[in-house]
Amino acid sequence: MRLTRRDRIVLFAPLAVLVGGWLVLPAVLGLLASFTTYSPFTTVVRFSGLANYAAVVQDPVFGAAVRNIAVFTIVAVPLELAVGFGIAHLLRTPIKGRALWRVLLLVPWLVSPIAGGVMWHFLFGGAAGILDFSPVGDVRFALLAAIAVEVWRVAPFVTFLLLPGLISIPKERWEEATLAGASWIQQVLHVAIPELRTLLLTVAMLLVGLSFGTFDTILILTGGGPGTATLTPALYSYGRAFQTNDWPVGAASGWLIAGGVIAVGLVYLRLARERPAR
Amino acid sequence: MTRVILLLTALAAFLLPLAWTVLAALGMLNGPPTLSHFSDLGVAEPAFWQELATSTASAACAAALTVSVSFLAAYGLARSHLRAGRLLRQGFLVLASLPVMAYVIPLSDVMRRAHLVDTFAGVVLAEAAVTAPLAVFVLHGALAQLSPEWEEAAVLDGAGLLRVLGRVVFPLVAPSVAATAIVLFVIDWNMLLVPLVLTSGEVRTVPVGMMDFFTFERELDWPTAAAALIVSLAPLALLVAVFHRLLERFRLDTQIG
Repeated sequence: MRLTRRDRIVLFAPLAVLVGGWLVLPAVLGLLASFTTYSPFTTVVRFSGLANYAAVVQDPVFGAAVRNIAVFTIVAVPLELAVGFGIAHLLRTPIKGRALWRVLLLVPWLVSPIAGGVMWHFLFGGAAGILDFSPVGDVRFALLAAIAVEVWRVAPFVTFLLLPGLISIPKERWEEATLAGASWIQQVLHVAIPELRTLLLTVAMLLVGLSFGTFDTILILTGGGPGTATLTPALYSYGRAFQTNDWPVGAASGWLIAGGVIAVGLVYLRLARERPAR
Repeated sequence: MTRVILLLTALAAFLLPLAWTVLAALGMLNGPPTLSHFSDLGVAEPAFWQELATSTASAACAAALTVSVSFLAAYGLARSHLRAGRLLRQGFLVLASLPVMAYVIPLSDVMRRAHLVDTFAGVVLAEAAVTAPLAVFVLHGALAQLSPEWEEAAVLDGAGLLRVLGRVVFPLVAPSVAATAIVLFVIDWNMLLVPLVLTSGEVRTVPVGMMDFFTFERELDWPTAAAALIVSLAPLALLVAVFHRLLERFRLDTQIG
């Protein structure tokens, strides 16, 4: 229908108030405050330029957190996509009890990150553990353990998001490929991935954002340790703002996380705009 | 056959840790089954059942608010025929990907100044805002596919915007809206950072309770923690099992021209 001016106000005002007031406004105020000495506990606020950012960037602890999250993202996101896609591919064609498979294979995503962290903390270590050493207490394995937990929790969600797309690829496309003698890997490369290009990009964007903000799982699993072996920028930011009361540094490092996601977001916008040639 | 074996392998990897948790909660790792660990929950964390109620209510309110607000905006976007419509829609996805940590520090300050800290409404509004961009993205996908002809017929009959939305548009996309609401409920239910930072004891959700417990009282034994995990997971598992058909309508991939 044709929307009048009044219609548009009715339609857009509620979202503008909600997202504007509780997301955009705090984000922008936080950005402005990160160039000052602002903190809710001080009365004198001075402009400080990039001093907060310099403090964050020069902090070796933050450097370790950035390295960790880079490794975390580079390993976890492709694994989540691969495992999630693989399972969706297995469920693509009708199978007995597909609905039940789908529900059961989604369950890990329903476990809250915090509860998952608790569970794996006990599973990995302590008297009740299944291994005779604790990977979460070992500098060499702690990050890998955190990645494994995240893949366990997120890959099921990837399957959930990809399966409807895979199912709706026209049958003929698969049949053509089978007739042409394509192996299953060729079918994935030449049928599934081109058809699902936009969906895969969308899911990848969400996963990268999720990974950059990793907080809940690691909080209980390792608390960022041992040392800084599993510290993430989000844990760093939270610790500075709410535990050591170093508000400006916390806010500035929070904005660096946002900056990272926005940078990836620009790449996503660029890639999602291009239409693949069929 | 290979397919079933592979699926069973995935199922085992996904569910065995949880099966072990269920056994631990029932005390079956070292003795006969017992429900005592579930009743211990109320002793170890006296507010646990209260927290469960708060989690349910806040997640339900936040999901309902997000879906209503996003439905209106997504419809507006779908019928505005903007040149930059596609870019705007993808912009919402980037916003949906933004981690809460990126803005939760100033948000806590804004909420404190607005006297919304430690209030139920504060938690609901903040959770609703966090998930709104994703809801707009998904619902826009569903609404943009809808042929405008149905609406035109209603408009010719003299129906106004809200009547068209309520009588024509909503019934046609109700399954997608419901599926979105369920997914948002799961996300809101499990959210930690927002209720953690915006409350200080008055309003507590299950994830915040779990976190406090593990940070300050490390001696909680595994069977009780396992019982807490199972109790907090059960409502979501039930919800997803009951509405699994509906959930197939949650789609990120509708092609928009």
